[in-house]
Amino acid sequence: MAEGTEVGGVHEPRRPGRGPSPASAIGVYVIVLIVLQIFLLTVAIDAYHEARAGLAWGAAATSVALAASAGALVWLLAER
Amino acid sequence: MTGTGPPLDDRPSGTGPAEPEEPIWRRDFPYTTAGEDEVTRREFVRYMVLGSGAFALGTVGVAGLTSLREPARGEPRPVVERGRLRPGEAYLFRYPSEDDPAILLLRPDGELRAFNQKCTHLGCVVYLDADADELVCPCHEGGFSATTGDVLYGPPERPLPRIAVEVRDGLVWAVGVEDG
Repeated sequence: MAEGTEVGGVHEPRRPGRGPSPASAIGVYVIVLIVLQIFLLTVAIDAYHEARAGLAWGAAATSVALAASAGALVWLLAER
Repeated sequence: MTGTGPPLDDRPSGTGPAEPEEPIWRRDFPYTTAGEDEVTRREFVRYMVLGSGAFALGTVGVAGLTSLREPARGEPRPVVERGRLRPGEAYLFRYPSEDDPAILLLRPDGELRAFNQKCTHLGCVVYLDADADELVCPCHEGGFSATTGDVLYGPPERPLPRIAVEVRDGLVWAVGVEDG
């Protein structure tokens, strides 16, 4: 099936440059990442209240790994 | 025609490295286009990654504070006269601080047991179900052993913190919170 849209019986070809781009995808990825970071911060605060240092450090390690991977991904994409 | 007018670039010469400043044409044509000041997608992603790094630093900071925080063990202090307790009943008190509800049990066999009264699930206070011989959390139906404080059923995953007690001169003393 050919790409494009059917508008009023007229087939409109898909124009280049339209639709999601890699930059949009990385934007969505980073937004999801921020949501995860907020979740991990709440986990760490909860661990603080319960005095569970192991859980707090686990959340911190995951948070740092996520931030580092996001930075590396953005850097790699910028290099291309 | 001699060049007597002002130079196109009127910056003083020999003042060190050129600073990044707006181009000359912008001074002559000081108009901006719509959207010129908008954040580009690439900048947005960069800001979000920086934000992610800030969150990571914050989480590491909270973890560091958690490591520095020593759980309160409490100082020995009297709770109640031993003679006021009846087997199978509970006595409520606060230990190690006034913000920590605790429950003292005189077991049918004469043993004394004390636990932190806050459920390890979400912090509701537990009560003694004497018929079932369990400490029950009414919020989410968690149950703990009245003898050991171990989880019997429900959502809690950790036992109730146990408080060491002993009898001195007819008084029940709480002498410290034990490790879980």
